[in-house]
Amino acid sequence: MRDRSFQAFAALPVLLIVAGCVDVQSALNPAGGEAERIHTLSWILIIFCSVVFLGVAIATIIALFGSHRWRQRLAGERLVIGAGLIFPAAALSALLGYSVVIMGIAGSAEGEDGLRISVVGERWWWRVIYIARDGRRIESANELRVPTGQPVRLELTSADVIHSFWVPKLAGKLDMIPGRTNTLTLSVSEPGISRGQCAEYCGGAHALMSFFVIAMPPADFETWLARESEPAAVPVDEAEIQGHALFVQSGCGACHTVRGTDASGTIAPDLTHVGNRHSLAAATLPNNAEAFASWIRDNQHIKPENLMPPYEIYTERELGQLATYLESLR
Amino acid sequence: MWAKLAPNRLIISLAIILILVVAAGAAFVWSGLYNVAASRDHFWVTTWILEKVREQSVETHSTFIETPPLDDPDLVRLGAAHYEGGCVPCHSRPGEPINAIVSQMLPSPPHLADVTAGEPPEELHWIVKHGLKYTGMPAWPAPIRDDEVWALTAFLMELAGGEMDNYRQLAGLDRVPPGALAGTEPTHRTEAVALTQCIRCHDDAAVSTISSLVPKLGGQSIGYLERALKEYTARVRPSGIMQPVATHLDDREIAKIANYYANLDAQPGQRGIDPARIARGQALATEGDPQNAIPRCLACHSHSRAAEFPALAGQHSDYLAGQLRVWQSGGRDRTAYGQIMAPIARRLTEEQVLDVASYFASLPPEAYRNESASALPDSK
Repeated sequence: MRDRSFQAFAALPVLLIVAGCVDVQSALNPAGGEAERIHTLSWILIIFCSVVFLGVAIATIIALFGSHRWRQRLAGERLVIGAGLIFPAAALSALLGYSVVIMGIAGSAEGEDGLRISVVGERWWWRVIYIARDGRRIESANELRVPTGQPVRLELTSADVIHSFWVPKLAGKLDMIPGRTNTLTLSVSEPGISRGQCAEYCGGAHALMSFFVIAMPPADFETWLARESEPAAVPVDEAEIQGHALFVQSGCGACHTVRGTDASGTIAPDLTHVGNRHSLAAATLPNNAEAFASWIRDNQHIKPENLMPPYEIYTERELGQLATYLESLR
Repeated sequence: MWAKLAPNRLIISLAIILILVVAAGAAFVWSGLYNVAASRDHFWVTTWILEKVREQSVETHSTFIETPPLDDPDLVRLGAAHYEGGCVPCHSRPGEPINAIVSQMLPSPPHLADVTAGEPPEELHWIVKHGLKYTGMPAWPAPIRDDEVWALTAFLMELAGGEMDNYRQLAGLDRVPPGALAGTEPTHRTEAVALTQCIRCHDDAAVSTISSLVPKLGGQSIGYLERALKEYTARVRPSGIMQPVATHLDDREIAKIANYYANLDAQPGQRGIDPARIARGQALATEGDPQNAIPRCLACHSHSRAAEFPALAGQHSDYLAGQLRVWQSGGRDRTAYGQIMAPIARRLTEEQVLDVASYFASLPPEAYRNESASALPDSK
């Protein structure tokens, strides 16, 4: 916070460009351990480079317009050896050492015995499996919830092509490679929301493959995880019951799982508690009844080439019922 | 002499000649002196040019067509059955004279046995698919359905092969009870069935379909049957065979036909299918292939399905595989229901198409046909 005004001045052009995502998806606004280290390192490098640039500029000016005496000094062997050889070697080595030390912390063993979350890149969404300390696996999708103040180990892999997991506010990006698991440790200090984005082109809907990371106080997180591990809510009112009947009749369960019902498909995102999520369709739409309805009918327009067929078969009323049912899965 | 003229005088002379020719042509057109009567033949030179242009055009345009195997009796019978409905009005049945009115067209439609002999199948296919300008020969109503055009081509090849004495049987004429042809008497309890002669191709209480490429309809759900007929009527489900038939039906008749077939006992499933294929097909139908984003078929095509989704158990494997290929080639993308199946069909390999078609064909028709209301999740 202390150098915020300086940052704002120095990064003004960049900020103007990325103003839209400065709150939830900006590396300039770090909220997690690794991102903060990257942030510090970036500023050190920027300041260092600026100082060197300034020095070179001054030397050039002297060489062009300086008095004879100054120009002779500049041409002296001492300056060439000192500023041309020793200084770059020493400064760059120091910076390299510093960056290795500061970034190396990320690869350490912290978070080994804490919460683990397996994140699998799929075309074009994120399969998220919470692996609790007792080994239970709780599947969700397109959203990560993490407790604050403790390291959380993410095990990143891919089910199809190479994706890349990047939450600029929390950490650097890390590729998700089929057949290989890369590990990333997140530690988030304050509760809040961050947005992530697939950072490796993975086909048609790559640009709409995003997600949110929601950091919660540990106690809240435990309560949430306990609820998340429960089977789905049973439909209560008439619209929900009708919506669930449509869900079954239309074969939605062939691809989607709703735990506690016959729907057990593994091709598409788990919908057991979809009503609780911050967004729909991998952060493409807000989460509300209207968005559910338009996604079911128009998903190929909203997110072209996604693997779900468009369902234009429903009447407005039926769409409303389906949306009500899905929204009730909290 | 021309060489002595100055270049600008040559140009002026040519321009004057050109203007005179155009003016004479215009005068001729506007005078109406040219006789367009079909009762008078062309000049021999016009006929020669028209025929030569036609022959050369067909040959050139069919150069890159690849002919699939056409000696399948089911393909021939499907082609024959459509010939009876679509082609007979002009080309007449084999061995019967051309209709007296039609024969006064210019050119008059030929007996196809005469003109198909020796013709390569790809040229016949091209003509059937695209029709011929200035002859009255129409194009296929659903150009995306090459599979249907090949069925008719297969029949024409059979016809070209020589004397055809089993036409009535090939075209299903012997399947229609006497009296039904005129459309005056209701057969099978509903007049609509008589009107469209569904029985000539589709199944009935006593017989199965005329070809394994024609779907069995007995025991199918009303919702699906109505939807299919309405999609043909609205021309959103392309088929050169079914669209012309369905166009004649109004909603009341569609409801009657759907009701009739829904209550008809289904013909038994297919026997003698490779068990290994059935086993692979069963795995796909019950579990899908999640690795390749293929959901299990039974999620939609089973007892819990919506009424508009078709029942597949006991259906011909050739028909099922054929329709999946139509989906793969984009022929069934234009309906709301077709759009659901389209991406899934495209994910299937040819082997998976055959496997899953074999599995459903091997099932008894009553499998998965219990249309009970969907169960709610148990409230544990």
